[in-house]
Amino acid sequence: MATVTQHSRFGNALWPVLAWVVALIFFFPIFWMVFTSFKTDADAVKPENLFLFTPTLENYVNMTKDYDYWRFATNSVITSTFATLFALVVGVPAAYAMAFDPSRHTKDVLLWMLSTKMLPAAAVLYPMTFLTKNFLDMYDTRFLVILVLCLINLPIVIWMLFTYFKEIPKEIIEAGKMDGVSTWGEIKDILIPLAWGGIASTALLTFIFCWNEAYWTVRLTTIDAATLSKLIEGNRAPEGLFFGRLSAVSTAAVAPIIILGWFCQKQLVQGLTFGAVK
Amino acid sequence: MSKRSLPRLLQTPAVVLLLLWMLVPLSMTLYFSFIRYVLNSTRRPEWMTPSLSNWRGLGNYEYVLFKTKDFWFAIQNSLLIVGSILVLTVILGLAIAVLINRSFPGRGIVRVLLISPFFVMPAVNAVLWINMILDPVLGLNGLAVAGLNHIIDGLRAFPVIGNFFSMWPEIEPISFRATQTSAYAVIMMVVWQWTPFAVLIFMTSLQSEDESQKEAATLDGANAWSKFRNLTVPHLARPIAIVVMIQSIFHLSLYAEIEIVSRGNGNKNLPYLIGEFTSNNIGAASATGIFAVILANIVAIFLLRMVGKSLMD
Repeated sequence: MATVTQHSRFGNALWPVLAWVVALIFFFPIFWMVFTSFKTDADAVKPENLFLFTPTLENYVNMTKDYDYWRFATNSVITSTFATLFALVVGVPAAYAMAFDPSRHTKDVLLWMLSTKMLPAAAVLYPMTFLTKNFLDMYDTRFLVILVLCLINLPIVIWMLFTYFKEIPKEIIEAGKMDGVSTWGEIKDILIPLAWGGIASTALLTFIFCWNEAYWTVRLTTIDAATLSKLIEGNRAPEGLFFGRLSAVSTAAVAPIIILGWFCQKQLVQGLTFGAVK
Repeated sequence: MSKRSLPRLLQTPAVVLLLLWMLVPLSMTLYFSFIRYVLNSTRRPEWMTPSLSNWRGLGNYEYVLFKTKDFWFAIQNSLLIVGSILVLTVILGLAIAVLINRSFPGRGIVRVLLISPFFVMPAVNAVLWINMILDPVLGLNGLAVAGLNHIIDGLRAFPVIGNFFSMWPEIEPISFRATQTSAYAVIMMVVWQWTPFAVLIFMTSLQSEDESQKEAATLDGANAWSKFRNLTVPHLARPIAIVVMIQSIFHLSLYAEIEIVSRGNGNKNLPYLIGEFTSNNIGAASATGIFAVILANIVAIFLLRMVGKSLMD
């Protein structure tokens, strides 16, 4: 037993250090981006100013002038918010029906929904451009971005809600039925208060996915509905000239989501694994 | 209203929306894949509008498969990128999850630091890595190599060991903007972003592991490795399957990272190749799109069968 104790004492001192080192390595690129955002563009590429420099806020002050940041940020906020709301409005009743009144096809419907998520976006890019440009006159509108973000996230929203709803005892909902509560009343007065936590974390995760989406938002917009993904993608290769200001605008683009993410990291697991990992 | 029709009614909007979203664009892609359809042609202006009179049969498929070498390269590269990401994130994720699955000072902060990369938007991830970190001159990559060369230069001045160092050539930083190296850059940045996801899931799963079983094994004289191999690994089979499935869904359609890192340098996956064709040859883009759908379906059937079973019970 003596050797075991010694071994674990050695381990007790070593593992936390190793864990911290790994965590700091993973966080380093984000730290470096934030760090660089306080350098002037000139300082950002000088080796002698790698760590020692006079910090400045000018990159953040000039963000509106340099990149028109707020226009893109507004679009991101509006499209992500409404896409999340619409997905919930469509998803909550569907998940409710599947969880509390399943038919023999429910399982297949759920798997089919998930399979639409696997449809490669690139395969249907041109038809979407063609339709929205030539027929629907929706290209580069916020409405189109909201609609597409809502649709690509709907399968995951329904899955997540389904797993949360399934954990609510059926009897509670049945009791409501006995008392003659309408379906709408059941959803509004019984289901939503009970599943509030699950619905909130579904909403939070969907919002994060919408905000970070970078295929449709880049390809179906030009200026009017362009989101932060499009802004960053458009400044992909500054050739070292604008490292300072590019870091600042990147930091501003990801900071709200990273902070939101910190708060919902626990729910993220249940959400993304559809409750299969507990 | 009958008992059964209401639940169906509640599902209808979701089902109809997803059905339209899946079928309308996909059937258009299928149609375009059988006709000659280009966006710009001065020689054959009639090809510029989609029409059945431009029927090409399987010609677009033949063109994509046999007349361009890009297609096979893109498939191979797609699989290389997705495969490497899966292997690396699972291994790293397991190692890190085991590492932090114990209590130590600051564990909460370690968790927060570790999960952060997952929330960085892909566009920022790619711009940050390829410029600020991997750039061979101005990024940390270039600065580190330059610093190393500087140190070696300094050592050359010393007697005796100077002779040894003077034989060393100048180190050249790797440029991550060439065809193959930019695929590695993409793998690196996606692994950085998705390892936290794997860690989070594996850690959650490890916490639900049966400790009494492990204690019993310890009493029976099992060492740490054999406990890990025989108890922990089987327990982790399901979370590993899920990490593989979710990541396959996301990475088969990887686009933003490739667009930002490798525009025009030849590194491409299937979605990127479709994007290239879409700038003019819609027929070829659509045929490639159909191949991408088939590939995704093969993966999907395999994965859904694997995961669907465990999700439903």
